[in-house]
Amino acid sequence: MKSNDLTVIAVAPNRWQVSALEDVLAAAQRVGGSAQARFGCLLLGHPEPERERLALEAGACTVWTLDPGEADAEDYEMWAAVALAALESSQLWSTPRRVVLLPPGAAGEELCARIAAGNGSVAAGRCEDIRVLDGQLQFDREGWGGRLSLSLITAANDLCACLRADKPSYPGRRMEARLMPLEHEPAPRPQRQIEYRETSEKLPPIESVKTLVCGGRGVNEAGFALLERLAEALDGSLAGSLPAVDAGMVPAYRQVGVSGKFVRPDVYFAVGVSGTPQHLAGISADTRIVALNSDPEAPIFRVADVGVVNDWETILPALLEALGPG
Amino acid sequence: MNIHLLLAGVADIRYPLHAIAVADVDRLEETGHTRRILSPYDESALELALKLRDSEPDLRLVVHLLSGPNDERLLQTVAAHKPDHLEALALLPCAPWDACLTACQLASALQAELDDHSLLLVGREFGDLDGGNLPAALAVQMGLPLLSRVQYLRWDSDGRCWSLRERGTQEEWTLVETPCLVSVSNDKRSKLRHPLMKNVMLARKASYASRRVQISRAAGLQLGSLQIPAERQRGDHCTLLTGDVSQQVESLRACLVGSGADVP
Repeated sequence: MKSNDLTVIAVAPNRWQVSALEDVLAAAQRVGGSAQARFGCLLLGHPEPERERLALEAGACTVWTLDPGEADAEDYEMWAAVALAALESSQLWSTPRRVVLLPPGAAGEELCARIAAGNGSVAAGRCEDIRVLDGQLQFDREGWGGRLSLSLITAANDLCACLRADKPSYPGRRMEARLMPLEHEPAPRPQRQIEYRETSEKLPPIESVKTLVCGGRGVNEAGFALLERLAEALDGSLAGSLPAVDAGMVPAYRQVGVSGKFVRPDVYFAVGVSGTPQHLAGISADTRIVALNSDPEAPIFRVADVGVVNDWETILPALLEALGPG
Repeated sequence: MNIHLLLAGVADIRYPLHAIAVADVDRLEETGHTRRILSPYDESALELALKLRDSEPDLRLVVHLLSGPNDERLLQTVAAHKPDHLEALALLPCAPWDACLTACQLASALQAELDDHSLLLVGREFGDLDGGNLPAALAVQMGLPLLSRVQYLRWDSDGRCWSLRERGTQEEWTLVETPCLVSVSNDKRSKLRHPLMKNVMLARKASYASRRVQISRAAGLQLGSLQIPAERQRGDHCTLLTGDVSQQVESLRACLVGSGADVP
């Protein structure tokens, strides 16, 4: 594969968490690296110089910006329309094959499907690896609860995907790197009737903290109350595995894993989490995992850096006391 | 209002996976003892549909189940909840790894059945091989507005339907205007109820309709190979904290704080 055969474009709305941009830059570096292709970055929304700098420092050859005006972070139809308008610009395409990358997670996957449907590209969705082999785009997707991985091949030239990689590196701005504003006037769309109500939620989003406390199937409601206090005491946030979300212990937007969010905290304190592959797929390889589980055979201990074999009922109250009043 | 519910089912993760092999570039072969059950998202979508019908008995609930291994058992599971109509949809070819093709097939099967008062519900992931794309791809294909990752649906006193999605410190309640596609996430308010035993027994004796949907697509996704995913490599080994409880707690505190966690 020659470096001028493939264009990789990382797309991220500025209204999304900065971690979404970092995730998609890491993915672009990985795909670009393995295919020996350069990558660009398309930033949608009000200009954010800090994000433009991040993309340039990550090695993007070009950073395109497109400001559609006022926009809700979760108006995916609008973001897709804006991204499609930008991607139609011939300035972004000069190679036979194109890979458009969106941030991993449910929001990125929706945007991926909309962009693919809009420009006729193949929607790879959530995938583990993207490569060019024998002149064809290929990628892997885990299925059946992370128990098998399927390699998929397309003869199409355009692919839209959400790839989970680890932290991006910032080798510095390329000599030829440039910032290029694009223009687009989004078409007016019907407004939905929406009402907002405040909740008792106090903790920050799980993508934005250095310390994430996560409860799993082995923790009950009383345990999650302790985990919430612990998250506050550590200035972190609270997450849950799929079974914990299913059991109603935490809301779905706090779910970590293949079906949930991809997180990159410095420390991930997993309590009562067995450590299934589909849960671990939501945690960056750079993250230090500290595990508390009463089952010494739990798979989480095979991947944790530090482990405690004990009941959460015994350890958590004592740990909260040791951390002091919070 | 009519509710159409799309269900896919997933392999039960409580049991070892049955034998699966790539039979051709567009066909998987599944053999052995397949245990397909409703996914958490399927269950939530079914429960929300049932909740809406509980309060609006005139509402008609039609369930379309993606045909696959273990069909009969899964159809019986759904039938025990007494939908007004239940059918298996046999997609030909069945390529659940290809969201675009699957969305085309489902749109073709459903387009004629939906009217201006229809609500189409689907779990936020469709089966074992959806890369998270199916609901949005289907919405685009059918030209329907999409409310994604909805956690709850309810009627208000004026007979209007509202959808809930939590966003950080806010609940977002959106008025559902039909026709519309709603992708449903799992939530404590949508745990699937247990059906009545008499309905379970009736479901076992019933027979079910099946419909074939044949559409192919030229430049789709072809199957390559199947592998067991490589275990993600992390640190060399886990350091287990030993000693009595107070020693374990002190080591854990030092570890959490020393690892970067801040105690304000």
